[in-house]
Amino acid sequence: MDSLITVISRKRFRTGWTAFIILFFLFFVILPTVYILSYALTDWGSIEKFVLNDPAMLDLIIDSIIASFEIAGIVTVIDILVGLPMAWMMVRKEFRGKALLDTLIDMPLAVPTAALGFSSAIFFAVTPESLAAPSFALNAVSSPFLLIVLLHVVFSYPYMVRSLSAILVQIDQTYETAGRTLGASALSAARTITLPLFRAGLVTGIILCFARSLSETGGTMIALATMANPGSFATGPTLIGDWKDNLEINPDLAAPLAFVSILLILLSLVLLVVIKLVIMKVHLPMGRIWPRPERLFSRGWFPKTKDGLAVFFLVVFVLIPSFFIFTYVVSVEPSSFDWGPFAESLMFSFLVAGVVTVIDIALGVPLALYIAKNRTGKLPEVLDVLVNVPLIVPTAALGYSLGVFWTGQNLIPTYDVLLIILAHVAFTYPLVVRNVAGAVEEVDPAYEETARTLGAKPVQAFRRVLYPMIKSSILAGAIMAFTRSLGETGATQAVVASAQTAPVYIVKLIKQTVPDYYTAGLACIVLIMVSFAFMLALRYITNRRSR
Amino acid sequence: MVEVRLVGLGKRYGPVTAVDKVDLTVADGEYVTILGPSGCGKTTLIRMIAGIIEPSEGKVYIDGNDMTGVPVEDRDIGYVFQNIALFPHLTVQDNVSYGPRAKDLPPEDQSRISRRFLEMVKLLDKMGMLPDELCGGEQQKVSLARALSSGSKLLLLDEPLSALDSRVRVDLRYELRRLAKELGLTTIHVTHDQEEAQSVSDRIVLMRAGTVVETGTPEELYTRPKKIFTANFIGETNLLEGWVLEIKDGISVIELRNGGRVKVNQTDHPVGDAVVISVRPEFVFPADEGMRAKVTAITYMGTYWRITANTEDEEEVDFDSATLDENLLTIEKEVYLAVNPKAAVLYPRPEDGVQEAIKLE
Repeated sequence: MDSLITVISRKRFRTGWTAFIILFFLFFVILPTVYILSYALTDWGSIEKFVLNDPAMLDLIIDSIIASFEIAGIVTVIDILVGLPMAWMMVRKEFRGKALLDTLIDMPLAVPTAALGFSSAIFFAVTPESLAAPSFALNAVSSPFLLIVLLHVVFSYPYMVRSLSAILVQIDQTYETAGRTLGASALSAARTITLPLFRAGLVTGIILCFARSLSETGGTMIALATMANPGSFATGPTLIGDWKDNLEINPDLAAPLAFVSILLILLSLVLLVVIKLVIMKVHLPMGRIWPRPERLFSRGWFPKTKDGLAVFFLVVFVLIPSFFIFTYVVSVEPSSFDWGPFAESLMFSFLVAGVVTVIDIALGVPLALYIAKNRTGKLPEVLDVLVNVPLIVPTAALGYSLGVFWTGQNLIPTYDVLLIILAHVAFTYPLVVRNVAGAVEEVDPAYEETARTLGAKPVQAFRRVLYPMIKSSILAGAIMAFTRSLGETGATQAVVASAQTAPVYIVKLIKQTVPDYYTAGLACIVLIMVSFAFMLALRYITNRRSR
Repeated sequence: MVEVRLVGLGKRYGPVTAVDKVDLTVADGEYVTILGPSGCGKTTLIRMIAGIIEPSEGKVYIDGNDMTGVPVEDRDIGYVFQNIALFPHLTVQDNVSYGPRAKDLPPEDQSRISRRFLEMVKLLDKMGMLPDELCGGEQQKVSLARALSSGSKLLLLDEPLSALDSRVRVDLRYELRRLAKELGLTTIHVTHDQEEAQSVSDRIVLMRAGTVVETGTPEELYTRPKKIFTANFIGETNLLEGWVLEIKDGISVIELRNGGRVKVNQTDHPVGDAVVISVRPEFVFPADEGMRAKVTAITYMGTYWRITANTEDEEEVDFDSATLDENLLTIEKEVYLAVNPKAAVLYPRPEDGVQEAIKLE
């Protein structure tokens, strides 16, 4: 043991290890994620031939990409409008049932988007007779665009509320109180003092919601397949999913697939950089204060109505759609079903998620340490920015790009399982790195330095001093990675069309010519239960940390 | 005329009483400090006056008006926070003009008022800077200017100096008093620093465990405190336990635990009563007779020496000496200590013991 510690404490070993971690990150995570961009250079001819010279194809692609971005934009705006009052209430007010509300807000996070898509569509959409939706379902939405907007709000809403409250907690309330001692009403003070200090949280929230909406595949596909007349409506990711399915029959689709992926990757990266710059750089004038009207809105019926509406929105537009599936499964006529394939796919999903999580931890924690401890360097700074790339790129595009990257080489055999694992590592790895790096930065380096002055080698100082302090963040990152992998549809489908993970299995149950709604519903519920167990674990761990 | 009157003002958090039915009147133009150890409820008290905390009972009157249900922004106060709380996204001038802007005054008034008060704290040249670019003392001056710019005649200071370096702290406290007096403000200043309280206030309100122990001018509280707690908390003092042996010619002779004797010019405790003598270190000196004691420590304090001695009566006595005669005062040396009889104060011995009486909570 001692000799091992001596060996791994050598400078040369540590440099080599760091280099290995960085290379892994660059070649297994970043490069495959954006590899498809090179297709534009090497195969421009086929893009011209199969896309640019085919007006129908080009229209389809442009329409779906525009739809994707429009949906993401609208969803983000709705999330801000309804998420802000909710975050405000959760952070600044004390009331009975707050703990319960806190749990309720997180609940949709526990449901894989494929299940959410099915559940929300049954609740909101006009559904076909054969589905036999419960009579108390809304049964009102017939526009696919509107349905997808509603669905995306359901699953992105918790992200927005969480990001906004995380930053709101950190803004010292004394600023607002100071404003009020100077004669500003509660509303004026919040508007002119707290909101401008809020930007960082707003940026995180917007980017999270935008990226999640842009990336969502499984739920969108199911929702479209569940509603009565989706027509030819598609988003960028659903297009990738559908085409990848048909790629073997129709190899001509390779160019359009690459083209959609390239557009999604480039546009998402550019747009998110723009969002960040605009929000951080533009200096909003604080504007005048209107003492009378703002005072009026600070008291009495207005704040109460606002809070009431926030809760109403949560219940009707987020919670009920999320869990409507339960009423469906209870009310619908049971049909015979075969557990075998679903159980198999569920096992497969667990296997993938487990392996992915282990890889994320083993190779993500060292990178997080490197980034967090060398803040001043150029390379760590670059890595810190790059880590966000796989989080922002829509996972379907990421999956397709990664598939092309790995199948295009001959060094490593490309088994389906391996490809799926690599794809899932690519988009979950950043979750672990971000979580852990954040936690490490919070810890005063003096602790480890003290251990070093007492004679501990760096690896011992890490294990005995730093590790116990960041353990819960590592766990939280691991559980996040696990649940994200478990619920992923887009990347899985785009990397291996015939993959049989649980969410993909559910998508296929509904997309097949004679949909098996009942089995899909039951499968959703099982998936919800399993994910929920993990979510509870996550909450338990993070709550313990905050104490 | 801004007079502040508190009537039975109290705040409870569940079973914990933070402030227990305080009655207090602060006169127009008076500078009052609320002094007390941390956790005594002084911050809760000032926050209730400001309307930041809702009282559980009692009433606050400002200028004769009942403030119950009146929100912070309508109380017309200036408030300076312990953590300074300058708006980090606004320049110094925008911070100071926030009050006028909240009232929607015309822009030229906003600018005029902010300049006037920045000039008053001598920071007009830092107008365009962000708070982060100033040092702590300057920040707190800006925050004072900001509080004053609301035009209120009532200034509430919540530990305004405790986040600052000691040198800045001393400079700024004179500044606070000067401005308050110049502008004719009624000022309530919360602090845990007795030296600060003594040097700025017209009157000190000493609090402990949610209640007012004693109020009085700084001099009264130092020279003639009515409670042992006050004697111990304000300044330094020696507390000696004994009983009244005899009273003769306007002087009480107090016998200590093992027979040592101390004379005090105070005769309101009858012979035989158990008492505690409080005497400041500067009023104890070596003499030919008195309490026999052995020197245990000598500390150089900059302008004088602080000498600690253990008396025969098992009391530890501190006294000060401007010079150090090494023949007279060295460690282990035996000395006789006398007390200035005019400067000593007698208290009835508390039932629960002296330690309980001077405990901070």
